[in-house]
Amino acid sequence: MKTSKKIILLGHFGVGKSSLIRQFVENSFTTDYKVTIGVHILKKDVNIAPDETVSLIIWDLEGYDDIKKTRASYLLGTHGFIYVFDVTRPATFENLEDDITYLTNQYAGTPLKVVGNKIDLLPKDYLKENATDFSVAPDFFTSAKTGDKVDALFTTLAKELAK
Amino acid sequence: MLETYKGKYFHPRTQFITIDETGKVIESDNLLFPLKKGDEISSISPFFEGLASYFDLQEDNDIKFTCIHLENKKEYTCDIEFKTFANGQPTLIIIHDFSDHYQYYQEVAQSRNESVINSQILELKNKYLKEKEDFKNTFIANFSHELRNPLTGVTAFCSVLQKTQMSTEQQDYVEVIKSSADHLKNMIGDILEMSKIEVGKLSIDEELFDFHKLIEMLEFTYSVKAKQKDIEFEVDFDQKIPTYFEGDKTRIKQIFENLLENAFKFTATGKVILSISENQRRARKVNLNISVKDTGIGISPKKIDLIFNSFTQLNNAQKYSGTGLGLSIVKGLVELMDGKITVESEENVGSEFKVNMNFKYPINQENTCLEEKSAMEHNNFLSKEKYNILLAEDSELAQMAVLKILAQEGHFFLDIISNGEDVIESVIHNEYDLILMDIRMPGTHGDELTKMIRSLPVQNCKTIPILALTANLYDDDKKRYKKMGMNDIIEKPFDETTLLNKIYKYLK
Repeated sequence: MKTSKKIILLGHFGVGKSSLIRQFVENSFTTDYKVTIGVHILKKDVNIAPDETVSLIIWDLEGYDDIKKTRASYLLGTHGFIYVFDVTRPATFENLEDDITYLTNQYAGTPLKVVGNKIDLLPKDYLKENATDFSVAPDFFTSAKTGDKVDALFTTLAKELAK
Repeated sequence: MLETYKGKYFHPRTQFITIDETGKVIESDNLLFPLKKGDEISSISPFFEGLASYFDLQEDNDIKFTCIHLENKKEYTCDIEFKTFANGQPTLIIIHDFSDHYQYYQEVAQSRNESVINSQILELKNKYLKEKEDFKNTFIANFSHELRNPLTGVTAFCSVLQKTQMSTEQQDYVEVIKSSADHLKNMIGDILEMSKIEVGKLSIDEELFDFHKLIEMLEFTYSVKAKQKDIEFEVDFDQKIPTYFEGDKTRIKQIFENLLENAFKFTATGKVILSISENQRRARKVNLNISVKDTGIGISPKKIDLIFNSFTQLNNAQKYSGTGLGLSIVKGLVELMDGKITVESEENVGSEFKVNMNFKYPINQENTCLEEKSAMEHNNFLSKEKYNILLAEDSELAQMAVLKILAQEGHFFLDIISNGEDVIESVIHNEYDLILMDIRMPGTHGDELTKMIRSLPVQNCKTIPILALTANLYDDDKKRYKKMGMNDIIEKPFDETTLLNKIYKYLK
């Protein structure tokens, strides 16, 4: 059985949304930062069970410092959200709580995963010792560079969407 | 003609496609993407996948999607219109190729975002460096504080020991201990001083002082030193320079001493010359050129830029001792007084440090006089046979040092209290002539106790001299002690003369 699900990656610019998708879809990473404008759409099939596949239509949106500025047409028919911030840049998670509240209010019932990316840039035990830095506890800490927890993120969401 | 031009120069970048309710192509003009009748519209891009499910295809809808990246052999950045009709007409998709326009926008956004991210990273780096610097300075301040207490014991007991019956050999040993303790005290002082300058906690006092006398004193001290080192020392001092200055005498003296110490340290033969000349006068300010020139080892051009860095000793061989802070303190102090310092040097020939600074001076130099009294002079003014002194201090070493020094004088009864909480009760029940108050005490700190004493409804409590005994010497601390009602500060480590000078001054 195969179903298609549209998911959207949101968050400030430069947090690594495109890199997460590239790592997930193509297993590759580059340190060259290319700003996304508008939206790129990629697709990947995820096997969530022996005879069950979810086709993820992944919308990689341009980064905004205010989530409310996201173009409404992009969000039409979205099945799930991934909100990404950069664990090394406080400016990208300063409004985390407000943004998450906005999304859960506007899109009640739509699955949402909060992700702290770029953990490869932090010392080993930093996140354990500074867990309170983030006003919302992230569902995943990822590294698009090393691939750490990237597959787990998309697969978990895919499974949730298939329910 | 217009039609000819249009035919030649107009390149339409818009594709029209109609699809059925299952997403299959009915018609397409194939201007951008080649499509055949019956192709899935989603074969262009996953963007179109499931799009039809977002709307009710039986109603009138006109939805626009801007800046969509579509890849089909070539990459396009397009605006896409999606029109459905209530009258049952097939769905229309219009794709406008705005790749050139969006390419320009992408470049602008790239430059803007990179600049914002870089400035955020820079801000974070600065914050991290500042935190590291603050930690270092707090550590240095605390560390030197902890060193000062035991050093008080060494210094004070050397003074006491020197007054006992000792053989000449023993006296020599005590002299060595005393000189080592003084050296250690100076080094701790240097480190603390530097940390104060770096965190901007050093302020410049303004007091009237005799500049000529200061230079005479330096000439005397360093002439003796020059004889001991078998080198020459010359002072070239312009006598027309005003006698009295208003400034921070201690810091100005420190600038001269550090420069001269540096010159003497690195000069084995030849001479050291101190020159002070007047440059100009304007509005109660005189501008002086100060130079300390030596015939020492000099500095190589490669290393000259490092000379004022903290903890830098250019000669790494252990031949020359010291913390390497002397010159960085000089630079810090000169800049704090709005002056400038430069250095010219040639390896194996010598160095010249030049300072240019403004000094404030009182216009009426004739009628200026300074009140200077030694401890012994104060001693002559004592009006009572015996004085009651309270020492609030938890360090046993400091207690013994004060006890020994005061016992030798024979003018004092001394009460000692180790715990801050017992001080108030003792002040209420005894009539003290003076209180020596440690700051960091268990229970309540000395500055808080002073505030409490000053508010007690007991006679004398408002006027009794309270002197702080402390190694917390930041200007903020000093200001706080004064605000809390303390009369003066005795810095740890103190010696006999310093302690007695201050006590007699306030008992007069």
